Amino acid sequence: MNVLIDGQNVPVEQGWTVLDTARYYGIEIPTLCYMDGLSPYSACRLCVVEVVKRGRSKLVASCSCPVEDGMEVVTKSQRVMKARRMIIELMLATTPNSRTLQCLASEFGVTKVRFKGEDRRCILCGLCVRICDEQMTGGAIGFARRGVEREVSMPFHKTPEACRECGACLYVCPVCELPCPGTLEPGELCNACLDSVRLDPFPSRD
Amino acid sequence: MGISDTKTLAEFVADVVEQNGAERSKLAAILHEVQREYNYLPEQALRDIAVLMEIPMTDVYGVATFYTSFSLVPKGRHIVTVCMGTACHVRNSRGILDEICRFLGISPGETTEDMAFSLETVNCLGACAMGPIMVVDGKYFGEMTGTRVGRILKKYQKDEVAEVPEAKRLTSSSELDEYREAIKPQRYAGTTSVCVCAGTGCQASGGADVLEAMRLELKSVGLEDKVMLRGTGCHGFCERGPLVVVGPDNILYQKVTPEDVPAVVSETVMNGRVVDSLVYEDPVTGKKFEHKDDVPFYAKQKRQILGPNGMLDPYEIDDYIASGGYAALSRALYDMEPEGIIEEVDKAGLRGRGGGGFPAANKWRACRKARSVDGVKYVLCNADEGDPGAFMDRCLLEGNPHSVIEGMIIGAIAIGATHGYVYVRNEYPLAVRSISNAIRQAEEKGLLGKDILGSGFDFTVSVSRGSGAFVSGESTALMASIEGKVGEPREKYIHTAVRGLYVRPTNLNNVETWANVPLIINEGAEKFASVGTENSKGTKIFSLVGKITNTGLVEVPMGITLREIVYDIGGGIPNGKAFKAVQTGGPSGGCLPESLLDTPVDFDRLTEVGSMMGSGGLIVMDEDTCMVDVARYFLEFLCDESCGKCTPCREGLKHMAEIVVDVTEGRATMDQLSLLEELAEVVRDTSLCGLGQTAPNPVLSTVKYFAEEYREHVESRKCRAGVCRALVTYEIDAEACTGCLRCLKACPSKAISGEKKMAHTIDTSLCEKCGICLEECEFDAVVRK
Repeated sequence: MNVLIDGQNVPVEQGWTVLDTARYYGIEIPTLCYMDGLSPYSACRLCVVEVVKRGRSKLVASCSCPVEDGMEVVTKSQRVMKARRMIIELMLATTPNSRTLQCLASEFGVTKVRFKGEDRRCILCGLCVRICDEQMTGGAIGFARRGVEREVSMPFHKTPEACRECGACLYVCPVCELPCPGTLEPGELCNACLDSVRLDPFPSRD
Repeated sequence: MGISDTKTLAEFVADVVEQNGAERSKLAAILHEVQREYNYLPEQALRDIAVLMEIPMTDVYGVATFYTSFSLVPKGRHIVTVCMGTACHVRNSRGILDEICRFLGISPGETTEDMAFSLETVNCLGACAMGPIMVVDGKYFGEMTGTRVGRILKKYQKDEVAEVPEAKRLTSSSELDEYREAIKPQRYAGTTSVCVCAGTGCQASGGADVLEAMRLELKSVGLEDKVMLRGTGCHGFCERGPLVVVGPDNILYQKVTPEDVPAVVSETVMNGRVVDSLVYEDPVTGKKFEHKDDVPFYAKQKRQILGPNGMLDPYEIDDYIASGGYAALSRALYDMEPEGIIEEVDKAGLRGRGGGGFPAANKWRACRKARSVDGVKYVLCNADEGDPGAFMDRCLLEGNPHSVIEGMIIGAIAIGATHGYVYVRNEYPLAVRSISNAIRQAEEKGLLGKDILGSGFDFTVSVSRGSGAFVSGESTALMASIEGKVGEPREKYIHTAVRGLYVRPTNLNNVETWANVPLIINEGAEKFASVGTENSKGTKIFSLVGKITNTGLVEVPMGITLREIVYDIGGGIPNGKAFKAVQTGGPSGGCLPESLLDTPVDFDRLTEVGSMMGSGGLIVMDEDTCMVDVARYFLEFLCDESCGKCTPCREGLKHMAEIVVDVTEGRATMDQLSLLEELAEVVRDTSLCGLGQTAPNPVLSTVKYFAEEYREHVESRKCRAGVCRALVTYEIDAEACTGCLRCLKACPSKAISGEKKMAHTIDTSLCEKCGICLEECEFDAVVRK
């Protein structure tokens, strides 16, 4: 089985996802809600790539999309980068002081958050929920409510017996680490490492 | 509350779990029962359920907080629900809601301190023709106005309202064909029959009272055994309800009240004379029409699916059998091979009526081919009709449930499925009752269950109730919901036809699609495909609502133009107003302007112009509808209904709504408009499921076709339709004002002052722009600018 990824025809194995393939061949795709060892959740949409099928292209979440023979994948097209930038900007509006997000902003050239911000300190990636359930067999935390009110929560906001305080949820959380040192006010972007890290290979032309 | 008086909460919960069984799929049903008994879900009840069913507490809590039908706080004695569907919205449901809030002193979602009232909103009750709708304890109040709110609610404050009695019906059994012949004479032998519409639309205008009055009247003249009285499903012409059709001549009476019933019985039923005052009169030409089929509203339609609705008693399987029902099932079982059935459906060109328009036969074939680990396959019926402004599926389930069941059984034979589910919205209690009753009757007759009609084929159907979540209509979310989980979509890289409900091959079709199946088998693919366009065959049912003269349900051949539907069937726009737009496809569809009215009803053509067929809501908007407000309405609807799993849909829609709200309130800049479009494209491109991918359509289509209106809102801070409150002011024209004090008394914010017989004035600083003064004034003296 072969796929064409970023112009290279490479052999792949049955059962691989597009993300597996990219990582195997050293192509970097950013992820937030994906973690090895946990089931893919396809929610953050940061890992989207463009898949071309019968002349029509479409964005798919690489973390869960299985490879097919002859598949054509583009991981850093204009369309992909535009989508990733917007997703980073949307996440920064809810979680402005996350170091991970601030670094992603620099990496992808996001220099401004144009939306009204509200610090919720959570991007609802669900890593904590899945590690608690799948690896710690705890099932102590879960999602509650829906839509914009969705939150990671314990039932009735009380610590359940099922919680062993193992700390796995804290360990996997991508946004609850120490805030980015470059930031002063919520909503501001530090962009300190904007030009020093890797440069965006497809700078915005619009 | 009989049970809970004597039982403790723990005992009640234990009993409910035992009765339903502790399988996870019963979770929603169990939560519904507890909610009904206690009016909310007590914390201890959830904890008990988690233990008894061996489900993690977080999962129970997640389900209980995900769906709007459940509440974790106690509710009042009376539940007031306001429909916020599109059709009600364009008829000012927001004004009604504001007035109720003011009257009760609470916001939506809250309960009054004395625990008398809880106020809720719902994203469409499917009684669109009667909008705006308010429901108190399950009783519908249609065509609400701000001034009626207080009058109705005061009665409930005094607990004066009696419950409406329910109609009781009978059942019986025998062999299918002989049985049909045996019951035909009783049911359709040219005897006089009276069909009273008992659909939700007519019930909102008093249909149940008319049915009861008719029953009593026939009894009092001694005709109760000679005249077949039926409470039927929706006749479609909801605007003119309650409707009564007297057979055999099919005389249509409209807007019938219980007081009219004696005249109908003595004149028409007993003497065959027409009661002139009740027949339909064309509002334009003044011409009167006695026979149902002559009425222009019906004449242009092709009612091959809906037609039986008005003639069948949905609670009597005999009515369905006598009119030829289950003959297609018999053919499919004995005269056809499963592949042959799929072939026939393929040749008929049947495409999914739920919105996507995917060829049904392709899905069936894939599901038939798919291998199941234990041979179990499922056939599902999607009756989670969440699109605000659409109620075709509700009417089919309420009016002709057996046609849907028959279609499902035929599909199950073709696919090799053993079990089926009908997933019905919780907002449709009548539909749940009707389909559950129909399933039971079909089982009693041997048409469903083990060894169907002696063929050896087994197939069972269960009803699964939704719990108030629009996204549950998405196929993977629907399956998660049936499994008793949160109704959240997942990626569909492997089709549900291969891996669906409980990881088994599953075929999901919508109610209307299933109802088409018996017709195809009965009449043959060729005849079915003779109606329609090249790639869209058969008919499509639309709920024609909004600013249109004849609201109601219409069934039209594919290929008819939108103009024909709006003007020839719908009778055009009422009150001499100008047409502005027609919205199809619900929150996933778009708004089409006048210039596209000649677009034919065809899956592909509607998608090309930026809308979609959708499940069949067709909402007409006139010059008094603000298109930016419509975009805002859909965005707020979708924000409410997004499951919140993926970033672009959850966050993207929120910010899109923020920008559009800024536009309607005069705060937006042109830069924000371009940001809106940029964001809309990313949401469409990257969302996980169909809800998010199509969510930007209402915005993109209004920006495309009504750019002018957006620009006016932003640049000149003007709303030409006078809908966006922040941009309008109310004034009193001193010349026209007679000083009648009417508006002054009605004004809830006491913003109007003046003496009797002197021109009044409005204090703009106090005015809340509710528009009640405009509604009240009889001299056109109140001016909105």
